[in-house]
Amino acid sequence: MTGQRNMRPFDPNELAASLRFLPKLLWLIPIFLLLRIMFSIYYQVEPSEQGIVTRFGKYARSTGPGFHFKIPWPIENVETPSITEVRRIEVGFRTIGQGSPAQYEKMQKESQMLTGDENIVLSEFIVQYKISDAKDFLFNARDPETAVRDAAEAAHRQVVGDAGIDAVLTSGKTEIQSKTKDLLQTIIDKYKMGIQIVAIQLQDVYPPKQVEAAFKDVASAREDMAKTVNVARGYQSEVIPRAEGEAAKLIAEASGYRAERISTAVGDADRFLQVLAEYEKSPDITKDRLYIESMTKIYPRLDKILIEDSKEGILKYLDLAAPAATRAAAEPVVQPQQPQQPAARPQQQQK
Amino acid sequence: MKIWGIMATLVIIFALAFVFSSYYTVSEREQAVVTSLGKPVKIIVGSMKAGEPDEALTEVQNWLKEKQPSLKVKVICGAGLYFKKPFMDTVHVFDDRLLAYDSAPTDIVTKDKKHLFVDTYARWRILNPLLFLQTVSTENGAQARLDDIIYSVVREELGKSELYEIVRSTNDPILTEETRLLEEVRVGRAKILEEIAKGSREKAKDYGIQIVDVRLRRADLPTENAESIFQRMIAERVRIAMGYRSEGEREAVKIRAETDLQANVIRTNAYREAERVKGQGDSEALKTYAEAYQKNPEFFQLWRTLDSYDKAFLKGSTKVVMPIQGSNFNKFLLSPR
Repeated sequence: MTGQRNMRPFDPNELAASLRFLPKLLWLIPIFLLLRIMFSIYYQVEPSEQGIVTRFGKYARSTGPGFHFKIPWPIENVETPSITEVRRIEVGFRTIGQGSPAQYEKMQKESQMLTGDENIVLSEFIVQYKISDAKDFLFNARDPETAVRDAAEAAHRQVVGDAGIDAVLTSGKTEIQSKTKDLLQTIIDKYKMGIQIVAIQLQDVYPPKQVEAAFKDVASAREDMAKTVNVARGYQSEVIPRAEGEAAKLIAEASGYRAERISTAVGDADRFLQVLAEYEKSPDITKDRLYIESMTKIYPRLDKILIEDSKEGILKYLDLAAPAATRAAAEPVVQPQQPQQPAARPQQQQK
Repeated sequence: MKIWGIMATLVIIFALAFVFSSYYTVSEREQAVVTSLGKPVKIIVGSMKAGEPDEALTEVQNWLKEKQPSLKVKVICGAGLYFKKPFMDTVHVFDDRLLAYDSAPTDIVTKDKKHLFVDTYARWRILNPLLFLQTVSTENGAQARLDDIIYSVVREELGKSELYEIVRSTNDPILTEETRLLEEVRVGRAKILEEIAKGSREKAKDYGIQIVDVRLRRADLPTENAESIFQRMIAERVRIAMGYRSEGEREAVKIRAETDLQANVIRTNAYREAERVKGQGDSEALKTYAEAYQKNPEFFQLWRTLDSYDKAFLKGSTKVVMPIQGSNFNKFLLSPR
């Protein structure tokens, strides 16, 4: 090869000289190893954890919370997964800002799915799970959380695929949640990962943006329907009472009429009976009295023409027209009640 | 003398290497095949956690007996510390755990000629590490093999089914009272997935792979089809909205008509009742009058007639021609006797 450096001949002295440093460095390795062994002789298991000890890679024992000793590395090794912590997987969205209010990012590919009636809907949910068996969780699956996520998506889609879109958006949510949880647990149990599904919680379930307006309009239509019916009921609650009011008035008026009629009749009859009693005591006088009283009232109103008895029986000519009209206009309309001398026409005696 | 130092160091290093190469550990997460100069001599399988504890053990033993009877291989089950011939033996370590397979979404055609973008995933494990080593030898190789197997099985099974069979599972779907699904599901998604899993399991056995589960993580319509679905959804919602509004109108008209009818009935009944009451009043009054007047009809006549004169003769409306002497009233006009 070209470009080689000058190769010096092998000089064992130099090699020995440089090797003298090696021992000093080499001592570091056993020191590190010793330290590591020392620190691996004990371990602590937190209250929410379980200790899984393996010896040469093989499972040896499980330990509970507290301070424990073990055979140091490299013989025994310990892992302490948290078994009471409830872990959380977000499907269809991600929380990108903690705090309140939290901020979310929608993951449409994860949340979009087909319903049983071949509609498209977006469904976001949370999977809560925890470790039920620490051994299985540690040793049986390479990536348990991803397995849960994949199975959750598949399970949810299978359940939603067996539902109608109206149920998915409204009344079926509880059933979908529980069916998804059951199916997911069945799948996870098959994988023997020592995981227990705590809950499935639906977050946002909504129709795609392209059809959002039409869906909102259905809600508006339902409102409109209720409103229209309400207006009609308002009409009903106005008209019926009004009619009943009129009805009551009619009947009340009729009752009033009846009462008046009866009382008038009773009054008239009473008056008649009183006069009758008087009449029966002295008939002629009463008759005359009544007659004269009556005529006193009536005569002033009459347009009278008084004629002397004539043996001939021929009606003498009188001008009846114009004078009567003039007189009617001149005299007052209200007739005074005291007896007056009848304003008789001056008699025209024609002999 | 320095040479001895160097030699000693080298001997120590060699000794250490010898020691370190004479043992190996297989953890609970691992399984291994030990080959001596290329020939398999030992298989260490994990104790199965999913399924029977000895499933892998018996599976591998049976396979050896059937397919590779000439091979002299020791099969052991369990993790831990093992020893081997230093330098000569090689340990091929494989993952003993459930592994993930995930395909990119692929387009498949259903029996009713509809297109579907399916995203399948599978969970598998290496059941027979020696067979695995002999066939695909690495996980990458396995992934490629799984791609072929699963894709072909999925395509075949889904191609046998209509779209609605793939989407739905049962004939007892979750519905509101308004929705009714029409087609009857004969197979359903759950059964189709079982068939896919069964079919893939068979094929994967040839590679020492056990497929635990295959599922459709996603199954979506291509964008063009999605568009037509959206149109249909919109049209359906429009229809439903119109239905609500017209039902509201219908109900309102009915309520108004019933109200008007009822109001009418109320008024009519009231009128009838009022007339009856008035009639009562009239008849009661007439009875009272009759009772009174009957006591003396002759006097009544005079009484009543005088009264009616009062009402009949009003101011300035009547012309009367009357005798003087002939009238008891007028006769006094001429003389008091």
